Amino acid sequence: MDEVILTRNVSKYYGKVRAVDGISLSVRKGEIYGCIGLNGAGKTTMIRLLLGMIHPTAGASFVCGKQVHSGNHDLWKNIGYLVETPHSYPDLTVRENLEIVRRLRFISDKKSVDAVMNKLQLGPYAERKAKHLSLGNAQRLGLAKALLHNPEILILDEPTNGMDPAGIVEIRNLLRTLASDHGVTIFISSHILGEISKLTTRIGIIHEGRLIQEVDTNQLDRLRRKRLLLNTFDNIAAQALLRTQGYPVNVSEEGTLEVTSQHAIDHPEAISTLLVQAGLPPTLLRVDEESLESYFLRVIGMLGGVK
Amino acid sequence: MRSILATFWAEILKIRKSRIFLMSLLISFFIPLMMGFLMFVVKNPELSSKLGIVSTKASMFGKADWPTYFGLLTEGIAGIGALGFAFVTSWVFGREYSDRTVTDLLALPVSRSSIVLSKFMVVVLWCAFLSLIFFVFGLFVGVVVNVSGWSGEIALLAANRFAVTSFLTILLCTPIAFFASYGRGYLPPMGFAIATLIAAQFIGILGLAPYFPWAIPVTYSTVGTGSSQIGVISFGILFITCIVGCLATFAWWRFADQT
Repeated sequence: MDEVILTRNVSKYYGKVRAVDGISLSVRKGEIYGCIGLNGAGKTTMIRLLLGMIHPTAGASFVCGKQVHSGNHDLWKNIGYLVETPHSYPDLTVRENLEIVRRLRFISDKKSVDAVMNKLQLGPYAERKAKHLSLGNAQRLGLAKALLHNPEILILDEPTNGMDPAGIVEIRNLLRTLASDHGVTIFISSHILGEISKLTTRIGIIHEGRLIQEVDTNQLDRLRRKRLLLNTFDNIAAQALLRTQGYPVNVSEEGTLEVTSQHAIDHPEAISTLLVQAGLPPTLLRVDEESLESYFLRVIGMLGGVK
Repeated sequence: MRSILATFWAEILKIRKSRIFLMSLLISFFIPLMMGFLMFVVKNPELSSKLGIVSTKASMFGKADWPTYFGLLTEGIAGIGALGFAFVTSWVFGREYSDRTVTDLLALPVSRSSIVLSKFMVVVLWCAFLSLIFFVFGLFVGVVVNVSGWSGEIALLAANRFAVTSFLTILLCTPIAFFASYGRGYLPPMGFAIATLIAAQFIGILGLAPYFPWAIPVTYSTVGTGSSQIGVISFGILFITCIVGCLATFAWWRFADQT
């Protein structure tokens, strides 16, 4: 069986509020699946459904072929998770917090606590009480709890929340290694597309509780809009010239000319030659690619706009 | 069994490292001390004129003998103890919500029932331990204050009554556990505990105390004084309340959405 995580038309309603609405998705073994959406889009609800913390109003979720429900506790043996901002017992030290998880997960190897602290650079804070940790280190402790038992599946909600840039890169590399070298399947949620796109192999965009697009990360490049931006000393003449040659030209918000024809984007040198031969040498000629954030906003805007 | 051992170990660690545990011990020492002080005031009427409201309260006890003092301790565990036990239960269950650590307990290889059962076990042990301190230190204070009229028979009878009252009071922790879970914190269960104590006073005035679960322990504590009407029905009502609270708490953890 290749699908490690599977949801079938899963929905969760709170009264009239549709937190998650008929989402069907699957995550294959070793895949890093990124779930992205605005705050309140339904990402955390989706994660809680996958972890059996809430019951679906309709549909079902499956992990390793077994249906998720709160009584099926054997299911969680090989799953590590982190939901929203991680919280730990404030009066217990980092080591004690991890020791509790070690016992509750029946891990006989006592060195596993030290191992995971080293993996997440928590060694120097081992005897520090959780309430005295910085947000970044609290996040590391949350991740350490998720990774302590070397799980085959990781379900992580905003795992790099509160971390500094170096920490974000470190965690990204760690998760990548877990997926590529150890075959760990990772389901991760975030509202930062840039971060998700650097880590995941597939992205699902959730908006207003619905999965509105799934895309392989390596296809993102193809899906993002491109345009050729150019400037000359006489943009009006240049615009007229390009139009006579069959290129659709608009004036961008910045006042530069904007050509969206695929030929112009693929061959900017042809446009340059054309302009130079007409005595309108370009002072600016650049292929501009839509940012990930713009792409994301455009996708969710296509279905009713950003709310 | 392995699940119970693991969850019980975790609960004990959480309690051992908390300030609340130490505070609860201090309160268990403090209250008998105050009760002993009241006995001391009764024994020394010359102090009364200087102590105002304390002397008024002390004068309510009439005599400074061991039966009176034991009665005071027993009523104390049924009244003040009930609030203390409610606080202990609220903390054990509600702190997981207040500290937002509950999510760490919901998707583990141990069943949620094991977690709830372990929490109930530590509540019972903790409250029983506090009761023991309350009574033993109360005895010590009584000896120091030199309360009169000691006899082994009276002490044995009082110890028995105190133990049963304490046990009945502990049984009422299960609805508190439910409200701590349902209310996701400390305030709803403490509100419930205070409301039941107030309600018990009014219901007592109406003469229905033997039928109101939260009035039964304090009513039982007065057995032998002629004012008690505790019988099988009262015990039955209290046990049913305990079982309902217990089942509701298990069901909440097992079936409710944990958002």
